Amino acid sequence: MRAMYSTVFAAMLLSAFASAQGPVEFVTAEGSEMRIPRTDAAGPVGKWWLPALDSANSRYSQLDQINAGNVTRLESVSNWSTGINRGHEGQPLVVDDTMYVVTPFPNFLLAFDISKPGFALKWKYDPAPDPTAVGKACCDVVNRGASYADGKIVYNTLDNHVVAVNAQTGKEIWKTKVGNVNEGMTLTMAPLIVKDKVITGNSGAELGVRGWVKGLDLDTGEVVWTAYNTGPDEETLMANPNFKPFYPKDQGKDLGVKTWPPEQWQLGGSTVWGWISYDPELDLFYYGTGNPGVWNPDMRPGDNKWSISIIARDPDTGEARWAYQLVPHDAWDYDEIMENILVDMPWNGEMRKLLIHPGRTGFVFVLDRETGQLLSAEKFHPPTNWATGYDLDTGLPQIDESKRTHMGQTTYDICPSSTGAKEVFPSAVSPRTGLLYIPAHNFCMNYGAIEANYIAGTPYLGADVLMYPGPGENRGELIAWDPIQAKQVWGIKEKYPLQSGVLATAGDLVFYGTTDGWFKAADARSGEVLWKFKVSSGIVSNPMTFTGSDGRQYVAVYAGIGGWVGANAFDLISASDPTAALGTTGAAADLKQVTTAGSTVYVFALPESAAQADTEAAAGETVAAQAQ
Amino acid sequence: MKRTKEWMSLSALLVLTLLAACERREAEPAPAGALPEVTGKEVTGKLLGPQPGPDRPIPKANNPFPMEQNVLTEGRRLFVWYNCYGCHGGRAGGGMGPSLRDETWLYGGKDQDIYNSIAEGRPHGMPAWGPKLPQEQIWKLTAYIQSLGTPLEPKKPPENPVMPTTGS
Repeated sequence: MRAMYSTVFAAMLLSAFASAQGPVEFVTAEGSEMRIPRTDAAGPVGKWWLPALDSANSRYSQLDQINAGNVTRLESVSNWSTGINRGHEGQPLVVDDTMYVVTPFPNFLLAFDISKPGFALKWKYDPAPDPTAVGKACCDVVNRGASYADGKIVYNTLDNHVVAVNAQTGKEIWKTKVGNVNEGMTLTMAPLIVKDKVITGNSGAELGVRGWVKGLDLDTGEVVWTAYNTGPDEETLMANPNFKPFYPKDQGKDLGVKTWPPEQWQLGGSTVWGWISYDPELDLFYYGTGNPGVWNPDMRPGDNKWSISIIARDPDTGEARWAYQLVPHDAWDYDEIMENILVDMPWNGEMRKLLIHPGRTGFVFVLDRETGQLLSAEKFHPPTNWATGYDLDTGLPQIDESKRTHMGQTTYDICPSSTGAKEVFPSAVSPRTGLLYIPAHNFCMNYGAIEANYIAGTPYLGADVLMYPGPGENRGELIAWDPIQAKQVWGIKEKYPLQSGVLATAGDLVFYGTTDGWFKAADARSGEVLWKFKVSSGIVSNPMTFTGSDGRQYVAVYAGIGGWVGANAFDLISASDPTAALGTTGAAADLKQVTTAGSTVYVFALPESAAQADTEAAAGETVAAQAQ
Repeated sequence: MKRTKEWMSLSALLVLTLLAACERREAEPAPAGALPEVTGKEVTGKLLGPQPGPDRPIPKANNPFPMEQNVLTEGRRLFVWYNCYGCHGGRAGGGMGPSLRDETWLYGGKDQDIYNSIAEGRPHGMPAWGPKLPQEQIWKLTAYIQSLGTPLEPKKPPENPVMPTTGS
């Protein structure tokens, strides 16, 4: 790996498009002008080193051995139980001949030898986390995966440790404590390795935790910088001349203090439990923040910055470059921690560096990722009614005040619910179609705001929420969305809320899973479901793909229901209380009737003979494509 | 590694015990339904497991407050006031913490058991409220929890939109 770094360094001096992370190559394809910036950090084609494959968060794989023509022959080749019957979010990594799986709490790291039949277990690393963390995690004890670089697998544990494990031996290299579980803080997101830093963020906005991102030294685990998302500019790292928010509403000194009642920012949530993206050319990383703490909006008059915002920062220093608050003064718990997909596309005839954010709020936001300017915000979830649209001149939502929640009253029929028009489960893009594939979710809610007490380590809500299925027969839909035209191209309606990520491949396929346990492959152009396979439990993970040591293309996914909505399948939640599980039980209790807890890593491939035939047939085309 | 060793020795113990039971049965088949003969004479060394014996009920305190509306309403108010609903559900149907309205009592469902769970806390995140709350409030919370799913329950849950009328 050190060798790779020096190669990278040499290339950086030579190439005009170079960055500190290696030369930037653009993944393109015939069919659209979308291009995905990618560097060596994503690993070689056929491997999967970062949570979303690349730091652009594309979840687009160039593998095409499995394609729309042969996917019907896909078969299960291995399945392993992790032994932990809780929500399996996230995705495996594949580095060389090893697949890495992080389990839900107690956050084991399992390494499987993919060169052995059935993928033999090589080793298991146990970080031995504090069990107190189990009762502080708002929405099941999930983990969203690891990142790989420099011989290290790096991930978060629920009890607020970041660990780096030797990818070969499974021995711990460093382990850094970054938070206190007794304050209600937990870690659930997948850290992203950017150059020599590990970028990580915290969870716990439901317990009055103050959100942050931290940059850790990849070699030592030392915390190099901490950037809070609330509080004074010195602590949000916005006190620098290069911090230039695009909109006047987001400009000014110490907005992380002034947009809150006195001291409320200390309990202000705005945590970072979703995905981090990185643009190697601009040398900026991007993330979205969660809900402001306390849920009851009348207890925190003001815009409550920087809750529900997208923030761009320098990975070396953590310094902010721009910030855009999508929803000032949230009244619905609309965390916007969703994936920010970094692609370049023509916008009004000019190629632009875009940031595409399919939002919990029901809108797909398209921003210019150099400046933070909002280029488009259109509803992908038609029932969305908390706002009618966005004013692109001011960056402000046009809110329907009748849907704003207030203390002492219940506001009825708000769409989407707090769980969003999509959840944290990430979308994918494909340059072959130019489309964004969104795993959508259709709940509405009644929301009563009540007084809340802050008691450290307990939920800080002030809300009595009841969710229920939104209009139509489907609580889920895989939506293919044209980000330029801002319109839906096709949709696959699902009875149950969609809670899995999406994988798009050069084989013109999109893979996703359903909460009732079907793993599906659909035609990326038409939305026709071409193949499906029933797995042991509901899917709340993100499918990924890789090339094995035998040259075959594999697709992997976890089956293990859980998470905020998925936990309704567990016995510990009673269907007789629809306000249970922070209000989701009213919309998802019937998951109990269609799935049970599970813990399986599934791997699929074409039969050996078929894989070989297709590789040979495609060989000519691949060579031709590379020559271009 | 330590865990693995423990498992290995536990499994070994289990196998030995089963083997011992089988041997005994072969030697002298017991009548159907009879328990195998157990004596202490073969035991040497330190006892490792719990000691079985006849039930010897531990005296437990009963809730000094009656299951009356004013007590239960106050218990419900405290349940919301101390953020219990955030973990255990708006009507105690569970979430971050387990449901308190189902049939399962992880730590016992008697008055004193529930009181102790609140006062002492439990592993996996349940805080110990004993040092913070007056005993009187803990007993009222106990009463509210025991009223869940009964006709006495104050502020009953609304019907579930996707799964109407279920037992628990």
